[in-house]
Formats: sequence, structure tokens, C-alpha cells
Amino acid sequence: MKESRVWMVASLVLTCAVAAFALSQVYAVTRPKIDYQRKVKAVQEALAAVMPAAASFHEQEPGEMWFALDAQGNRIGTVLKAAKQGYAGPVPVTVGIGLDGRIVAVRVASASEGLKETPGLGLKATEPSFLSGFVGKTAPEVRLTRDGGAIDAITGATITSRAVADGVSEAMERHLEEPAP
Amino acid sequence: MSQPESRIRILTSGIIKENPTLVLMIGLCPTLATTMSARDGLGMAAAAGFVLIGSNLVVSAARRLVPDAVRIPIFIIIISTFVTIIDYVMQAYQPSLYKVLGVFVPLIVVNCIILGRAEAFAYRRGVLDSLLDAVGKTLGFALVLFVMGALRELIGSGTFFGRPVLPSTYRAAPMLFMLFPPGAFFLIGILKALVNKSGIGK
Amino acid sequence: MNPAKIFLGAFLVNNILLMRFIGLCPFFGVSSSVSTSVGMSAAVLFVMLLAAWVSWLLYHLLLVPFGLVFLRTAVFILVIAALVQFVEMFLKRYARALYSALGIYLPLITTNCAILGVTFLNIDYKFSLLQATIFALGTAAGFALAIVLFAAIRERLDDAPITPALRGYPIAFIGASLVSLAFLGFSALFGIN
Repeated sequence: MKESRVWMVASLVLTCAVAAFALSQVYAVTRPKIDYQRKVKAVQEALAAVMPAAASFHEQEPGEMWFALDAQGNRIGTVLKAAKQGYAGPVPVTVGIGLDGRIVAVRVASASEGLKETPGLGLKATEPSFLSGFVGKTAPEVRLTRDGGAIDAITGATITSRAVADGVSEAMERHLEEPAP
Repeated sequence: MSQPESRIRILTSGIIKENPTLVLMIGLCPTLATTMSARDGLGMAAAAGFVLIGSNLVVSAARRLVPDAVRIPIFIIIISTFVTIIDYVMQAYQPSLYKVLGVFVPLIVVNCIILGRAEAFAYRRGVLDSLLDAVGKTLGFALVLFVMGALRELIGSGTFFGRPVLPSTYRAAPMLFMLFPPGAFFLIGILKALVNKSGIGK
Repeated sequence: MNPAKIFLGAFLVNNILLMRFIGLCPFFGVSSSVSTSVGMSAAVLFVMLLAAWVSWLLYHLLLVPFGLVFLRTAVFILVIAALVQFVEMFLKRYARALYSALGIYLPLITTNCAILGVTFLNIDYKFSLLQATIFALGTAAGFALAIVLFAAIRERLDDAPITPALRGYPIAFIGASLVSLAFLGFSALFGIN
């Protein structure tokens, strides 16, 4: 009976069914935890992108400000998030600021992360060629030249450029507000 | 079969005399790829062990129901189920280990040790014997992965389980060769030579 | 990623056998002679390409749309096992010469980690079907290069006087270590890491 044709097919089908069921349950149970891990990872990657020298980050204000720490746990900088209204929606920026108050790096959320600015125009403000202009600047310099600062806006993308610059500026102001380390 | 092996024998043979990696020469890929540190090696052994023990148990328990002609596909389904379970559980609760092991977690499904033991042992023996066999082979596999991982970590970065062990002058310029693929091949060659010399498994 | 980078990455820089360590069981089992290595490489190329296509299609057209991603491992390995069976039957019927040439290597391929590895990596790297094809080709070529090179070395080793403890696997591993060292030299070649 064990070797009958019917049982050969039936045993295969049964095994598949049991396996599929067991796996769907395991998947359902672990899914929330895995999604959470993914979110944590995405945040960590964004932080590391603006503060590459950091070994770890301490969340000082949930979702808003992190202290960048080196391998020994000493603070080497701060990371802040801000979002000013751009052309088609908010423009989230992440700013890494060193202990000297100068910008280490700026990152803008990408289109896949919900950024709605215009491709080819506004989106140019998310590219390294524009963002590298922020590096090393201090708080007063971080505005568009036409607003009194040192950042050149991108031709044809003034609104988005301004949103980025204003976002960075706000981040730096908040940075100056909190007590020195 | 003439006389029943002692249960102890089944358990212990997997550790030295029939060590999967250094005597039976199976399961080589993860042994070389996931042993850049002691912790990674043990993590890999634990994951593979979970699958081996699980599949041996299920195959043995169901051996009277599984038709001979379709046994291999059924073994594969059972094994891949356990592999998928450990895959998702590790992703959820040990993401850093999962990141290190990478594609080798799903590759456990083609780890020759597991399909080999299901076919050669679990399909023909009782549940307790199959469990002992799986545990023994897992311990043997873990032993080799641990030794490889510990040595590669020690020589290649001067640490042990992440803790610095060798003096900082060494750690400033360690023998990085050990952490790279050539080092892994070299080390397992030495280990296998030692096994040959000692006559284990002959 | 442009096609050339994908191919060169799979072929040299991240050679599947000598840098990724995937596919080692047949590597040591079959590489004792150059001719068998060539045969194995041909079989691997054939199955790897087919497996890459079928698994990619099944994943993107079936598993993902129906939310069955968790069945990935089981489906992929079963696909490979089935593919090997069909290829064997097909060749036996319609291409006898090729069938006898490939001989026993065909069934051996089912447990070849390299085939399954490629199917998973195609998903992990989020390749398109075309990119997956190039990746599979590059990987199969890398497999062939590594195994044939290694077989040539081993054929020489057979005649060399080697102390008993090192004979067989140990010296093979050490030999592989040296070839791997050479391949390590390819890392960062063409800007691929």
C-alpha cells in the first residue's frame, strides 16, 4: 500500500500542503519583527550616510536627533532631520554636523522614500553635486545666495533648492539650541 | 543488520570518526565561507544543526509512510521547510548573524550532510537513533566550524568572539590573509592534513 | 549595473568557487582531471542558465504576486531537481551524444550549491531577467575557469612527490588557496568589488 501509485501522489501532495501551511504560519509570526528590523536598518543607513566616521548612534530625540558616537562611545557629532515644504511636498533632509558646528554631509530622501519633487529639475537638488556644496558650511552660510547665504540654487529648481537649504538651516538652528556636549 | 550499534556510538561517531567536514568531506561550502569569526561559525553550525535534527526527526518518524519512489522529493520538501523556518526566524531575531551568513542560510538546503543523513540513516532507522545521529553530526560540524572560525579570527584580526586577545601591536597589522578566501582554503588544507596524519576515519 | 560589470564581477572578481565558496563539493570531487572538469562545466552552464530563467520567472510571476515569497527556498530547489530530471530525459532521447558526454555529472548537479546560489543571488541583487541571464553566464564561466585551472594543477600534483599526510585533499586545498590568492588579485578590477 505504501508503494501504490495513489499513495505516491497523495504523499507528495500531503507533504507539500503541510509544508506550505507550516511555512505560512512561521512567515506570519516573523513578518512583523522582520519589517521592524528593516525599518531600523534603513534609519541606520541614512544616519551612516551623513556621518560615515561614526561607529554607532544614540537616539537623543526620537526621529529627530541622534548623537554620532565613535567606537569608544565618545560623541563625534550630531545628526538631525528636518523637512521643509518643497514644490510638491515636504523635502526631508538628514544633516550630519561635526563637533565644530560645520556640516559633514547632507542627505535628502529619495523618490522611492516618498520625495515628490520634479524629476530632472527639483530632483537635481538631491544629487551630490548640489549637496556637496553644504559640506563644511556653518549655520549662517547655509542659505541660498539669493537669501543671503553661500549656497547656489539649482537653475530651474529654486523652490526645491530653497526647501533643502531651509531644511538644513533649521536643523543647524536646532543643533545650536541644545546644550553643548 | 547484524547487531544494534550502541546509542552512544551513534552519537559520538559524528564528532570525530565520521566528522562530516573533515572525514566524510561534505558540507565544505559553509565551512569555508562562514568561518571568518568564531561566532559566525557557531551560528552557521546552529542553523544547519536545526535543519539536520529537524529533518532527521521528521523523516524517521514518517519513514513507514514515505514511498520509496518519491522519497527524495519528499526529503527535499521537508528539508527546505526547516531551512525556510530557520531563515525567517534568524531574519527576525538575529539579523546581524543573518547578514553575515547571507546566501548560506538558504543554501543549507543543498548541504550534502542533511540530504545524505536523511537518505542513509533517518529513512532506515528509528526516531531516537536518527536524533542521536543528527546531534552527533551537528556537534562534529560545529567543532570544525568553531576551530576554523576561532583560528581565522585569532590570526586574521587578533580577536576571539569579538574581544581583542592578541596584543594591539599585532592587531594593528594582523595576517589578513586568514580572513580572505585563500586563507580559508589554506587552513582547511592544514586541518585535513592533521586529520590524515592522525589516522582518524581510516 | 551594466552588463559588462555583472559579467566580469561574476566571472572573476567574485568568482563563485574561489571567492564565494559556493559549489565546492563537485569542485573537489570532479577536478581530478581536466576532461571531466570540462564536462562538468558544460553541464553546469546548461542547467544554471535554465534554472536561472525558470526560477526568476516563477518568483516574479507567481510567488511575488501571490504573496508566496516564503516558499522561495522550496520552490527553487524543487525546480532545479525537476530541471535536472527533465534535462536528463530530454538529452537521453534527443541528443544521445551530449547525454553520454555529460554522463554522471547531470544528476550530481542537483546538489550543486552554485546553481541554487545563483537563483538566490538573482533575487537578492534584484536583477532583471536580462541581468540574471548575464549573471548566470558569468558565474558558469567563472565556475568553468576555476575548475579547469584547478584540474590542470591537480593533474600535475598527481605525479609530484608529496608527503603522505598532505596527499589528496590537503594538497588540493592548499593548491586551491594559491589559485584563490591569484583571483583575489582581481578584486576591485574594473572598479567592481
